Amino acid sequence: MPRLTIDGRTVSVGEGATVIAAAEQLGIFVPRYCYHPGLSIAGNCRICLVEVEKFPKLQIACNAPVAEGMVVHTKSEKAEAGRRAVLEFLLANHPLDCPVCDQSGECDLQNFYMNFGLYQPRFREQKVKKRKAVKLGSHVMLDQERCILCSRCVRFTDEITKTGEFGIFDRGDRAELGLYPGETLDNPYSANVVDICPVGALTERDFRFKARVWYLSSAATVCNGCSQGCNVDMHFVLDRPHLNDGARVVRVKPRTNPHVNQWWMCDEGRYGFGWLDRGRLRSVRAPSALAADSTWELALATISAALARSGQGGTRPRVGVIASAQLTNEELFLVRTIFGQALGAQVSAAVPEQPGSCDEFLIKADKNPNTAGAKLLGLAGPDAPPAERIVDEALAGRLDVLWVFAHDLVRLFGAENVRRLPESVPLIVYSGTNENATTQLAHWVLPSAAYVEKDGTFVNCHGRVQRVGRAFPPLADSREEWRVLLDVARRLGLTLDWRGPEEIFRALAAALPPFASLSYQTIGEHGADLATVGSATGTAARCSKS
Amino acid sequence: MNLSDLNGRAEEIVRRYESRKAAMLPLLWLVQENLGHVSQEAEAWVGRLLGVARSHVHEAVTFYHMFHTGPVGRRELRVCTSLPCRLRGSGDVLARIEEKLKIRSGETTPDREVTLTEVECLCACEMSPMAQLDETFVGPLDSQTIDVVLQAALDEPEGSAPLPEPDVFISTTGPVLSSHFGNPEGTFFERYVADGGYHAARRVLTSMSPEQVIQEVSRANLRGLGGAGFPTGKKWSFVPKTTTKPKYLVVNADEGEPGTFKDRYILERDPHALLEGMIIAAYAIGSHKAYVYIRGEYFRPARRLQRAIDEAYGQGWLGKNIQGTGFDLDALIHRGAGAYICGEETALLTSIEGGKGFPKLKPPFPAVSGLFACPTIVNNVETLACVPFILRNGAERFAALGTAKQGGTRLFCVSGHVTRPGVYEASVSVTLRGLIEDACGGVRDGRKLKAVIPGGISAKILTADEIDVAMDFDSLLGAGTMAGSGGVIVMDETACMVDALESASRFFAHESCGQCSPCREGTGWVHRIVRRIVEGQGNLRDLDDLLGIARDMEGKTICVFADAAAWPVLSYITKFRGEFEEYIRAGRKSAGRNVTACPA
Repeated sequence: MPRLTIDGRTVSVGEGATVIAAAEQLGIFVPRYCYHPGLSIAGNCRICLVEVEKFPKLQIACNAPVAEGMVVHTKSEKAEAGRRAVLEFLLANHPLDCPVCDQSGECDLQNFYMNFGLYQPRFREQKVKKRKAVKLGSHVMLDQERCILCSRCVRFTDEITKTGEFGIFDRGDRAELGLYPGETLDNPYSANVVDICPVGALTERDFRFKARVWYLSSAATVCNGCSQGCNVDMHFVLDRPHLNDGARVVRVKPRTNPHVNQWWMCDEGRYGFGWLDRGRLRSVRAPSALAADSTWELALATISAALARSGQGGTRPRVGVIASAQLTNEELFLVRTIFGQALGAQVSAAVPEQPGSCDEFLIKADKNPNTAGAKLLGLAGPDAPPAERIVDEALAGRLDVLWVFAHDLVRLFGAENVRRLPESVPLIVYSGTNENATTQLAHWVLPSAAYVEKDGTFVNCHGRVQRVGRAFPPLADSREEWRVLLDVARRLGLTLDWRGPEEIFRALAAALPPFASLSYQTIGEHGADLATVGSATGTAARCSKS
Repeated sequence: MNLSDLNGRAEEIVRRYESRKAAMLPLLWLVQENLGHVSQEAEAWVGRLLGVARSHVHEAVTFYHMFHTGPVGRRELRVCTSLPCRLRGSGDVLARIEEKLKIRSGETTPDREVTLTEVECLCACEMSPMAQLDETFVGPLDSQTIDVVLQAALDEPEGSAPLPEPDVFISTTGPVLSSHFGNPEGTFFERYVADGGYHAARRVLTSMSPEQVIQEVSRANLRGLGGAGFPTGKKWSFVPKTTTKPKYLVVNADEGEPGTFKDRYILERDPHALLEGMIIAAYAIGSHKAYVYIRGEYFRPARRLQRAIDEAYGQGWLGKNIQGTGFDLDALIHRGAGAYICGEETALLTSIEGGKGFPKLKPPFPAVSGLFACPTIVNNVETLACVPFILRNGAERFAALGTAKQGGTRLFCVSGHVTRPGVYEASVSVTLRGLIEDACGGVRDGRKLKAVIPGGISAKILTADEIDVAMDFDSLLGAGTMAGSGGVIVMDETACMVDALESASRFFAHESCGQCSPCREGTGWVHRIVRRIVEGQGNLRDLDDLLGIARDMEGKTICVFADAAAWPVLSYITKFRGEFEEYIRAGRKSAGRNVTACPA
């Protein structure tokens, strides 16, 4: 393990490590454009130049192998002068597009110039002209003039997606980034090139001109598009309704997690957030007879009364609850505790599988974020009672209350069957975030908070429990499921003295061995592997349905 | 003729290489030579054969400027406009050709007969001003010979009268390199052997160990004659002794440094000297496969070398079990396609591997991880051509011909304003003055010497009173310049240093591979400033800016191209500052594309 000194501090690193990685271990940031930990080394931007004692020339930190006793200075006068010179070369032909460039505010040319540039520019010639605003595909826009030819995108499409769309053509200062003439960039991970582009050469078409990045707030959470649970950051604006047509979420970016998605996410997940602000259920909807009085108070009072009535006289309550792998572990735990255990109702999250597309990389066929959690709680999986049975009971008129969480029964069981439910079930409650065919059938429609509007946890397909981070409060009059369930429990006379998801999780962890010794703190921002997992099998690379 | 007709030959080409992608350049040549240009369909076809995305085939096609993406004229006339040719009037030549053909350079005649292109150095500076008509070098060009050339362009190649061979000086008396240069048709195997050829190789293969060979070459003080001057024996010793990977010998025949043309003479007139040197070198480093990377414009040299290779195979000097010694060696010619940067040894390797000519990051170094990530030694043609002499006559004899730290002779290429341009073999201890005044007959037309570039366009310039310096690597380094490729470009009092810098900076801007930022941006920036100056729009502060930019380019890049690009800027402006300032103050403009207008 070679030991070296960087800026006066010593560190021991693994054999074969580079100076830039060693510096990172010490928390020393060496500026970089072409270097990316997830891609091969290119060494072409030259901005990571550092001074290494006994070497006459500055060395690029990204390719300099560490050696025992090496002494590195990242901020010496020579290193800073070298870096300043490189920056001036990079900015020489770079167009003065900041006022119209989406990257402004998160651009590493701007950032590094402000950090260590601040020189009097000498370039007074006509800049090289190339193509601007070139649509590369559904999601990505290219501006060739802004490109600093770091080749990150070329390496991404060669090494990560292995689709090889990008090339750098011609040579010298006429070199230009592009696709093969006539080709489009439409692989399932195309937008990742926008994340890794250090400048405004590759930008998102969806985000184009929507908002300046300094107006965006950020919250860490996970994507709920499939069971992979890629870590993401939600970027949103709450206090500027004139931006983004008033929608809160402006864009989604992958968040680095070496255990789950590394630095990447798929396009489908990235652009699948529109439902958070459009087509939402915004208020409680009472049965038509009570339309004038659609309040949470009335809803929960009425529903709780019906639940209590159903179990009176010692008979088994005729209550069916169809839960969902869209719910958090905390909410599923409450469903199990309140409906399953306390009430003795029929509870299931085991709905017919509807697998979507998948691949060998991140995309999973199971488009639910918490199937593994539901399985661990006994609500899904081969051993759980199927939800279909509850639907049959309902259609046979043997249920007083049917409560459906987050499912479109029409999509799951077919319109033919489901249409008749209101005739055979006196009280159908639907809890969900958006309108769908089932909301038309329910008596009470309760607007649910979206997963980014509440705290909680999901378990992904590899048995990793991850926190869902609450980015902003629930929209309009929607409420978190866990809050609604705790309210119902109180009205049913159950003493569950948990005040929020964190405390619910603690109870869950005490009750389920795989979660033992876990807490929100130990799960942190990158999640934690569960002790043992039902049917998930580690980081399986095979494209499978789980 | 369509692509599917080429499938058989394509497969045969792919089979010659250790990696499919390495067949990129030969397949693109196959396409262009048979179909006239590389279409999109052809790019897809090549991509499928190599298992490479189309985008990367297109990268190669656009990087190497000899490839055409669309149809061109039946004949292609490439006019050289680098410094040595500019010094002898290539601007006038080009203007006259444009006038006669009624097109500008970069265009094709309306009847689609001739495409006219301006190119950088074709490395035939001894016959400047010159051009290349398809595969043939023609020069020196004046109004008469231009007419002959243009007539030949319009005729069928087979039927036209032979184009005149230039009358330049060519050393023929050796002792090391030039003894066979008297054969314009080249030296065949029988003659080479009769003169003692392959003696050294036989001695090496039958009675010496690789270690002994390396020691002999080291004691001879042979230094790399491509330009870097690194001790050859030492370089060979860097190859790891214990490795399971195959080792490669790669010959750098991508001669491209303006002012240099020596390797061409070896390839055309004495190729067996190169082959014998290759056999000895391969044996010394334990290599059984040698690639010879020849620049794309060297059609005849490649043919001559291939003829020699075929002879060597036929005579049992290449292939399996050479001369019954048990040593195997295969040799394969790999042609470039118009990129000076491929002369940088690691860019050359990347080019063989099928990529653009991008120099590689170091570490790792080629001796440890080079071609196909295997131990590789890259040597210049001239360097290897010295090796048979060393092993035949002994290290001491070779060493004694030179200085204490650099043995032997070398082929000096002298061009520009001398009486007798040509290729001169002389001891490395010859002085620049001796070379110019004694050997070359002095400055032409009795004019006064103004400046000399001693080692190819990259070398820092020397003034007329700085030429009492020996031409070995160490002496020239001590004089603040370099021996480089041995390309001596002479400038008399009619040469304008501002124009000279415009020519040099244009060369570097054209040839930068574009991989890393200081070079890509710096070369273009420098050229744009200098061009603005020669268009009469310069400011005095441009000069200090140029010096600052050049200094900023040094020491920060993947290869030394950027440093080489900086050196002319630094040396011309520093040593001729007055001339530059005068030019700018007077608002002077360049008289044309020549380098002849000089302020008094």
